[in-house]
Amino acid sequence: MPTENPFQDPLRFERQVPECVIVIFGANGDLTRRKLMPALYRLAFDRRLSAGFAVIGISRTPISDEQFRERMRDAVQKFSEDTKFDEGVWNAFAAGLFYVAGDIGDAKLYQDVAARLSEIEEQRHTGGNVLFYLSTQPSQYAPAALGIGAAGMGKGNGWRRLVAEKPFGHSLETARELSSQLHQVFQESDVYRIDHYLGKETVQNILAFRFGNGIFEPLWNRRYVNHVQITAAESIGVEGRGAYYEEAGALADMIQNHMLQVMATIAMEPSASFRADSVRDERSKLLRSIRRMKPDEIRLNSVPGQYGSAGIGGQRVPGYLEEPGVRPGSQTDTYAAVCFFVENWRWAGVPFYLRSGKRLPKRVTEIAIQFNLAPLAIFDQNDGEMSPNLLIVRIQPDEGISLKFLSKRPGSGMNLRPVSMDFNYGSSFGERSPSAYETLLLDAIIGDATLYTRQDMVEASWSVVEPIQDVWRETRFEFPNYAAGSWGPAAADEMLARRGHVWRKP
Amino acid sequence: MAATLSPEKILKELSDLWVSEGQHGQAEDASGVLRACTMTLVVVAEQDDDPQGLGETLAALMPEHPARAIVIRLSGAGGRALAERVYQQCWMPFGQRRQICCEQVEITASDGALADLPSVVLPLAVADLPAIVWCRSARLFALPEFEALVALAHKVVIDSGAMPDAPAALARMRLWLNGGPVLGDLSWTRLTRWRNMLAQIFENRERLARLENVRRVTVDYPGERPNTCALFMGCWVRDCISRDAELAFAPGAWTGTGPASLVLRVRLEGQGIDVELRRDQDRMITTVDGLSQCTNLPVATPYLLMREELGIVRRDPVFERTLASAAHLQYPNGK
Repeated sequence: MPTENPFQDPLRFERQVPECVIVIFGANGDLTRRKLMPALYRLAFDRRLSAGFAVIGISRTPISDEQFRERMRDAVQKFSEDTKFDEGVWNAFAAGLFYVAGDIGDAKLYQDVAARLSEIEEQRHTGGNVLFYLSTQPSQYAPAALGIGAAGMGKGNGWRRLVAEKPFGHSLETARELSSQLHQVFQESDVYRIDHYLGKETVQNILAFRFGNGIFEPLWNRRYVNHVQITAAESIGVEGRGAYYEEAGALADMIQNHMLQVMATIAMEPSASFRADSVRDERSKLLRSIRRMKPDEIRLNSVPGQYGSAGIGGQRVPGYLEEPGVRPGSQTDTYAAVCFFVENWRWAGVPFYLRSGKRLPKRVTEIAIQFNLAPLAIFDQNDGEMSPNLLIVRIQPDEGISLKFLSKRPGSGMNLRPVSMDFNYGSSFGERSPSAYETLLLDAIIGDATLYTRQDMVEASWSVVEPIQDVWRETRFEFPNYAAGSWGPAAADEMLARRGHVWRKP
Repeated sequence: MAATLSPEKILKELSDLWVSEGQHGQAEDASGVLRACTMTLVVVAEQDDDPQGLGETLAALMPEHPARAIVIRLSGAGGRALAERVYQQCWMPFGQRRQICCEQVEITASDGALADLPSVVLPLAVADLPAIVWCRSARLFALPEFEALVALAHKVVIDSGAMPDAPAALARMRLWLNGGPVLGDLSWTRLTRWRNMLAQIFENRERLARLENVRRVTVDYPGERPNTCALFMGCWVRDCISRDAELAFAPGAWTGTGPASLVLRVRLEGQGIDVELRRDQDRMITTVDGLSQCTNLPVATPYLLMREELGIVRRDPVFERTLASAAHLQYPNGK
């Protein structure tokens, strides 16, 4: 009996996808409509899903399979940004969409889902493979997982996996508690904690850039790198999600997960192979090497911020405290800047500045690695600016990599001028990049957890972020401390100035 | 047309083109042009071979596979005559202010000058990057002068299905398998989506277990005799499963609109297994044990085919094995 598919041709085919059913909890929610369903449709459009692929949507509203299909059709038509809507592809895809109504806390829901799964497995030959996707409020993660377990769906003929969206707890303790509840039904290797930043092509390209080339890695250490800045800026405010944001804040919403994962990718040691556990071990080691700061260090190395109202382009935008759903006098951080240090031989003493904020001048996510100046300035300073070399990895928009260096200006005299050597992802590879959700959903179906977050990584992140949260919670800040449309509080500039550094203005 | 061409003069013209483009770009918007090159692409085509279509294909390929493109136009019989012109292929990436440009050289050569082509192409090839020869001319493919171009190439791409004597083309390509260049055949590339779909069907473990039950493989083709696409498809499937399975080719008729599909249908039959792939307009219908699925299957344009081939610059063991089988099927006693 053959154990390997003899038709495989890895040189020309994209990765093959096994048959499966995705069970989405929260199927009428925003994430399902805006991200998951358009991503799944695109995968179907690109022939990346198997013939028997099916989805069971779960939500409270009692609707029929047909009504669910109609809703998902509207969502795909509305939110698929760069995919043509093809009636034939949709009809084939929609034939695999099913719906079960019920309450996550009600045991009957899980019996209904189990019965539906059996039917689908029989009809569509899905081999018993099921991916449970938690697209609900985080407070429902544990009840959903335990319900799946109680109904006997945690195990079956094929594989069973669970995907959970962030946040994974809101502190170290709650993150551990959540994991232990999930582990009552699923093994850690079957839990896929999604961090959509890691699914972005440019974040994956960091690994290719660092470990596929021989020339950069020798420079990738404290001897040559002066400091690293990672920026995730948004130009919009909380956009009606004030109530959600009150419970999160920039530190917990961005730095604890996305930005520390990006930092781990940029700073980790080379992994022995590109296997999921090997890469994740190195990311985890890096996160565990980040210094856990004491309260007095935290006051010097972290800055929270909250935007106030301002006029942008002739239009007045409200301050955070004026946003709907925000408590009066709220101390929630809409901006966070932290200076982290990695305590290992490669990075000892190199500051990693991370900042994220809302209502900053533009939407940009980038990593800037600033190298040390040349050891001896042999050119007259008057002949040109002594500017350091910078390697910039742009994650969004205009994804790509730039290297800034000095060059002689044409003409007599030794006049130097900084120039930029650019690699632009969009122009070098004309083909469309898959969205982060396409990549991550496909990985979860295939069983490749490389780009997913593991429990030890979540705990390591909370270990360094929680002490900062504690100090911030004990302090009364004078908010707002930055105007909407500016690059953040003055205190964040001062934090860098103390080490002779300046924030880039991307 | 002149009787001689100077590669050094062409290189100087290319260099001047960049200087002028750089100055022009800086004067316009201070953002300049970006030069991109990942390979030398030598395209050999007859003089009357769809100049506009070929130009559009190259323009579409350049953003993904930036190359120094050397287009050799064969002007046919006549005295020894060569001519050239250099120009650029530029595009403005969406949302950007800076142009990206690739260089293109067009050489026109009469049959009398074919022997001189390698000495012109060799110095024009970009150092340290692969040179890929895309031969669109069935006439040149049959001439001995083509061997000299093949000797310069890291990879040679042809379309055996477009050759007047396809079996002979397969036999000739089979000879290159031992120590020759990397080979690509657009008749094989056209099958990638079919093959991928078939492979996906057998990702299911239960179905994979039944694969050894397949006793008959049928490939339907349009026309009177199997084309190379149909031959490749049949040989590939049989090589993947078992030499014991019966391989049959059956004539059929393309009923869709647009260019005819070169493979109409593939069917694998045996005890407890029945898998069929069928083309319907721009869609693929897969039927597995009675359950049908429809997916998007755009027509394979020259751009799509070459895009795939240019992405592969190393030996393709699956294609080489299938080529050997298809050539053997045509000439069981060798040729």
